[in-house]
Amino acid sequence: MRIFSRRAREKVVISILMMLTAVAVIPLFWIVGSIVWNGASVMSIEFLTSLPAPFGSSGGGIGNAIVGTLMINCFASAWGIPLGILTGIYLSEYASAGRLSFIVRSVVESLSGVPSIVIGLFAFTVIVLTVRHYTGIAAALALGLMMIPLVAKATEESMKVVSNDLREAAIALGIPKYNVTTRIVLSMAKGGIISGSLLAFARISGETAPLLFTSLFSFYWPTGIDQPIATLQVLIYNYAISGFGDWVSKAWGASLLLVMMVLVINVAVRMLGRKKY
Amino acid sequence: MAIKLETEKLSAWFGKKQVLKDVSLAFEEKKVTALVGPSGCGKSTFIRCLNRMHELNPDGRVEGKVLLDGENIYGMDPMDVRRKIGMVFQKPNPFPNMSISDNTVAGIRLSGEKSKADLEEVVERALKSVGLYEEVKDDLKRSGTSLSGGQQQRLCIARALAMEPEVILMDEPTSALDPASTSRIEELIRKLRSEITVIIITHNVGQAARISDMTAFLYLGELIEYGDTKEFFESPKSPITERYITGRFG
Repeated sequence: MRIFSRRAREKVVISILMMLTAVAVIPLFWIVGSIVWNGASVMSIEFLTSLPAPFGSSGGGIGNAIVGTLMINCFASAWGIPLGILTGIYLSEYASAGRLSFIVRSVVESLSGVPSIVIGLFAFTVIVLTVRHYTGIAAALALGLMMIPLVAKATEESMKVVSNDLREAAIALGIPKYNVTTRIVLSMAKGGIISGSLLAFARISGETAPLLFTSLFSFYWPTGIDQPIATLQVLIYNYAISGFGDWVSKAWGASLLLVMMVLVINVAVRMLGRKKY
Repeated sequence: MAIKLETEKLSAWFGKKQVLKDVSLAFEEKKVTALVGPSGCGKSTFIRCLNRMHELNPDGRVEGKVLLDGENIYGMDPMDVRRKIGMVFQKPNPFPNMSISDNTVAGIRLSGEKSKADLEEVVERALKSVGLYEEVKDDLKRSGTSLSGGQQQRLCIARALAMEPEVILMDEPTSALDPASTSRIEELIRKLRSEITVIIITHNVGQAARISDMTAFLYLGELIEYGDTKEFFESPKSPITERYITGRFG
């Protein structure tokens, strides 16, 4: 009798947990489902490779926004990832209990908590107001700034898990500290750092607020990073609220593309994470 | 008999806690000296003062002198000291991101200086000197951590020997190993004696008796007794030593 009731209780607990999990997962499937449902119909080679059609006429695509998002992400990564890695190396290997490391740590942590719109405003003030036009450079500045704390944290954490025994073994061989850090610790933390950088890339791919008043938008192919540049994020924002049927469905298509991009990166990171020493 | 390494009134602290008190000890060249004593007696700290590793602790502090061929190592470049005085740790710790051969010459390759040494030859000689070459010669490119525990520890000894150190410090090198691997390493230490000065910490009194020429007994951070291993075990002078070696405490 007691055994039965214990089993029964176990079943009740499990079914409650499963129900709650379902409640948490349903909205996710709902979102992805509606994006696929609404976005898949507009997918075509033309949609992915051509410029937007003039307002009012159907056809055309979002090619310039795809290129623009990748371009701004790459420029942001080009400075955000190296700086993030260097900060992470400092925090993991060189920071002692001193005041400087306390400041660096606090700055990195607060930076990750700053709302993205504020970071966008900063880039707007520093660059857009100075050069007096919207520019992709300001967007790359804002997004790169957002990547730094993400990459720094990932770097620090993957270096910290490298056993201290290995650092000691290397130091006892008379290996200088910079080689202990780069050739042993960094080399072993490589996987985690790459994963962290990819996730930071995926993360900024969804940021819209900092782009609204930096890179703005354009109906043409980007000619340079110093120009206003179309991005998938701003395109979704503009098209979705336009009320114009063709544009709304194109916004769904762009959403699908963006979600797929983030999904592919996340799956890649998971596969990468499986290979360990 | 020549003195290779000598400590003069060596004291060490962790923060405010003194863990070594005025230890003066002279190690003879090309002899095996065993350091014995109960856990927490300062053996590890002592050995880590000999290659300037103790000072890497954020709150580690050292006072006194350590003379290598008469020169105080605390006045030398720490990296030069560590190249002359190699170290083997309790747990085998080959670099997991390197192959067997890269592990063997890691110290040379990452020294930050151009080396004229023929690295392949160094790999072969170092691995032969620890009796590992025949076992691994066909897969030198395999990861160092793919070896068994005993093989990994011999690889770590080879890695230290590849630097051609004058002294080698061993901190309980067999305590993580099975009996068969332990006896191989003991055999290796006896063989090393003809070329190099060995200082070995051991928790195992029997091991000290088997492999060392000289034995030092540390207790609560102080040197209690030091002498010829045979005399040390047959007629210990201090009653504490006698109680320790007869297994009444440890």
